[in-house]
Amino acid sequence: MITINNEPKRYEGVENRVQIMALVLALVFAIPCLRLWKLQVIEQSVYQSVADDQRISETTLESDRGVIYGRGDVILANNRASVSIVFTPGECPEVRREETCIRLASLLRLDTNAVMEKVRKNAGDPFQQIVIKSDVTRSELFRVEENSLDLPGVAPIVRPQRRYLYRETGGQLLGYLGEISKKQLNDPYWEERDYRQGDVIGLGGLEAQYEHQLQGEDGYLLVTKYASGRPQLRTDRGGMPVLAKTDSAGNVATIEGEGREPRAGDPLYLTLDIELQAKCESLLKGEVGAIVVLEAETGAVLAMASVPTYDPSVFVSHDPTGERSRLLNAGDPKPMLHRAYREQYPPGSVFKVMLAAAALEEGVVTPASTFYCNGRFRVPGSSRIAHCWKRSGHGQVAVKEALAYSCDVYFYNVGLDLGVDKIQEWAHRMGMGVNTGIDLPNETKGLIPGKEWKAALFKDKPVWDQNWYPGDTVNVSIGQGSAATTPLQNAVMMAAIVNGGYRVTPHLNRDALLPPSERFLSDSTIERIWGGMRMCVEKAPPDYPSGTGWRAGVEGIGILGKTGSAQIMNLSHHEKYKTEEDIPYEFRDHAWFVAGVIDHEPKVAICILVEHGHHGSTAASVLAKPLIEYMYRERNVEDVQIAHASSEGA
Amino acid sequence: MSRSAQDYQAEDAIVRAINFRNLRRIDWLLPIFVLSLAGIGWVTMYSASAHTGGNQHEKQVLFFIAGAVIAAGIICIDYRALVAFAPVMYGGVILLLMAVLQFGPEIKGSQRWLDLGLFRIQPSEITKLVMVYFLAWYLHTLGPKIRKLHWFVLTFVLTGVPMLLILKQPDLGTAACLGPLVIVMLFVAGCRLWHVGLVVLVGLSVVPFAWFQIHDFNPSPKSWEQDKQKAEFYENKEWYDLHWHQKMRIYTFVHPDFAPRGSNWQAYQSFVTVGSGGLAGKGFKQGTNTRLNYLPEHRTDFIFSHYAEERGFIGCVVVIGLFLAFLLRGLMYARDCPEMMGTLLAAGVVTVLGFHIFFNISITIGLMPVTGMPLPFLSYGGTFYLTTMACVGILLNVPMRRRMFLEEGMFGG
Repeated sequence: MITINNEPKRYEGVENRVQIMALVLALVFAIPCLRLWKLQVIEQSVYQSVADDQRISETTLESDRGVIYGRGDVILANNRASVSIVFTPGECPEVRREETCIRLASLLRLDTNAVMEKVRKNAGDPFQQIVIKSDVTRSELFRVEENSLDLPGVAPIVRPQRRYLYRETGGQLLGYLGEISKKQLNDPYWEERDYRQGDVIGLGGLEAQYEHQLQGEDGYLLVTKYASGRPQLRTDRGGMPVLAKTDSAGNVATIEGEGREPRAGDPLYLTLDIELQAKCESLLKGEVGAIVVLEAETGAVLAMASVPTYDPSVFVSHDPTGERSRLLNAGDPKPMLHRAYREQYPPGSVFKVMLAAAALEEGVVTPASTFYCNGRFRVPGSSRIAHCWKRSGHGQVAVKEALAYSCDVYFYNVGLDLGVDKIQEWAHRMGMGVNTGIDLPNETKGLIPGKEWKAALFKDKPVWDQNWYPGDTVNVSIGQGSAATTPLQNAVMMAAIVNGGYRVTPHLNRDALLPPSERFLSDSTIERIWGGMRMCVEKAPPDYPSGTGWRAGVEGIGILGKTGSAQIMNLSHHEKYKTEEDIPYEFRDHAWFVAGVIDHEPKVAICILVEHGHHGSTAASVLAKPLIEYMYRERNVEDVQIAHASSEGA
Repeated sequence: MSRSAQDYQAEDAIVRAINFRNLRRIDWLLPIFVLSLAGIGWVTMYSASAHTGGNQHEKQVLFFIAGAVIAAGIICIDYRALVAFAPVMYGGVILLLMAVLQFGPEIKGSQRWLDLGLFRIQPSEITKLVMVYFLAWYLHTLGPKIRKLHWFVLTFVLTGVPMLLILKQPDLGTAACLGPLVIVMLFVAGCRLWHVGLVVLVGLSVVPFAWFQIHDFNPSPKSWEQDKQKAEFYENKEWYDLHWHQKMRIYTFVHPDFAPRGSNWQAYQSFVTVGSGGLAGKGFKQGTNTRLNYLPEHRTDFIFSHYAEERGFIGCVVVIGLFLAFLLRGLMYARDCPEMMGTLLAAGVVTVLGFHIFFNISITIGLMPVTGMPLPFLSYGGTFYLTTMACVGILLNVPMRRRMFLEEGMFGG
């Protein structure tokens, strides 16, 4: 039976309760809306920047270092593509990682444990590219590429790397590269120039001096990054980023923002003639020494050799043999020390050139005034007897003979007449005992002793030790005692003699040409000095004494010369030995020869130093002859133009 | 012997229970809301899954179709016929929940699934629906007796059994859902207001409980230290103590800036994702934070963050408005249904869905601690989609029977 019952089976007020419920529901749903307003409208920029920061990362695009050119458009240092093998653990399935490491280690002939350790160390960031081996050889690269199917996550990348085309020739001048140190990174000087850890900077020579010119500006790509760290950017086999339309998962790869192209470093044009440099180094082969060849008019460095030298490439690439530390920790002779400007030696008789010029300018002597040399000189105010190198004496000598035969007694007298203050003043004026201002780091200043210097040195000693005595002046007059100059300073001094009396600033960068100083030597002085120095290199007829530098003479070329033998030990020390060969190497005299070429272009000033070479006349001046012959007969240095005419026009 | 009145009645009941003519009386407004929401959900899922080459958006369509079939099936059967089976369903669900605890495999630290060979079921998901039916049956059967305290208390006992079983899994989100459900249904059923007020007060005691749980909780950012702490923590754990990860969630909810790269990553990234969307959103398939996988679970529980990132505040308000319209329409059915069973059923379904919507959105925007809680129509997941569509079917069923009820009298009267 079906009953019809239209009466509602509900209690009174149920409708109200449902309506209350609806009201509560609507109110409750307003809460998230208010919250969303706060998050999305009021605080939107905060979260936007968080989202951008975590998503966008910079990928560095390394810049090329500036090319270094020598005279005649010769490239001395440029960059090559260096291939490194990297492993990205995140792109290799986890189960295959160990197997891949083992296979990779055997292909590259590396220690398996070392490779695994490297990978393990970077476990926190699986998309970090781990460099397994940098600068691999072609055969290693091919081995890896052939097995690439079995090496997931392994890829070769290419980075620019420095290449020194002439290897050790001029190695010390060009300098070397290395990673910036932690200490430098904390230094505000480097910090404000935006250097970062891992950046390679010049650590020596021109690479360091012109770091800011040569260093390019790294570029970057703004790359979108997955939460896992995987970048949405792929590189091709050459390591160049591919701005792929789709990434590995088939998504559009978005390169966000503008990024920045890397800017290569500016080139550096040198005045250096690399062939001449090579000649200088070969001349010094087997010896320890330095040769400086300056363009007398400008101070441009044509060659500046120091032997032994080293190959800066050692510091660029992977160093499995420990060559790098061997070089850095080497004892004497230090191959990384450029002897021409970072080492100082007693100038010896080379100093006489300066002294003669100073005496003539000061009017202490006239060209005609003579001193008598009997081989001995009693130092005024003391009982000390100073000897001439020639014990039998030179007889009556004027300035010309004194320079030609290097008479010590003449210059003892001149020095005493001139006084140490004037000696010091003139030496500094002509570039000795002061920084030459060459564009290389860590130049050694040398020393021309004087009264103040001695007083300061012995300030803890009794006053009679602080006083300056004529005997000190006598020592300085022949470039002995505490006097010390660098070969480069001697070359600068020599340049002033050659160019007619002004001091030049030696420089390697052709753009670093500085105006010369005021002229400080008169024509008559120049004439007298030239006369003496030409006589020095002249081979006299038989029975007549030749100049001490006669071995440097070249037929048809006007050469100035002055030999020097810088004593390390007292002369009386040497007398203990029967022959010169018996003197231990480290006690032998340094051999000097300064020279100038005055009638051929370019006019040059040359300084040759052979460490422990006994005599300037036998060890140093003999090198000048082949050098000058090479410069003017074989090479014709004049024709080798500073390398910029063509490249600048382009 | 001729057929008795009962026989006629039984035959009549089956005829009326499955009566396709009733389909003509369907309300079309609610399905429009459902289709809109499902459309938004599909587009969002397309954007969320396409970038990894996933096919979740395609599967979501299948879930919708399967859900629509289930909803149609439910619509065809008179809800009163289904409610009549509620006690049986209740018993079945209790058995299933116990079976889960006994046989269910442990996945990610909890037992939620029951493997039936062909497919897996999630009994806690079914429990929500069954509890709606069961409470409707129980409260309808009681009628005005619900004003008595002991009947009132019994409601909580009956709800508490499956709730505790679910908590044991543990599935905090589903268990928490049953609380508001029972309160709302008691309220609609006409219980005494002070009874329900008392229960709400007791329910609010969860806040001091949470405070008590974390007041001496010390999360350490260092993992090895954390491990040590964890070990000590589990050694000294009391029965009332929450799990370590649960405490951590409450802690990070109170300290949103804690360990954004560690244990708070999920909640923090959700902030970032939603916040960076801005007023108008980043645009379709432009949600960088989700597309680059910064936000975990952005296809399931945190799909709303993804939606908020791409559609912005405006889109959020639109979708919340649609949800609200959908739920209010459901409450209109409850209000206009002339008899108690339909009212209770509609109110219960609205409560379950409303609870999910509100909590899910609140979690993604940091109003609630992180708990697994899917968003109807948007989150990826088959079982929950089917549950949601079943709810839609139940809701649509209520107004359809109203006219029949008015014209032909009450079933079983």
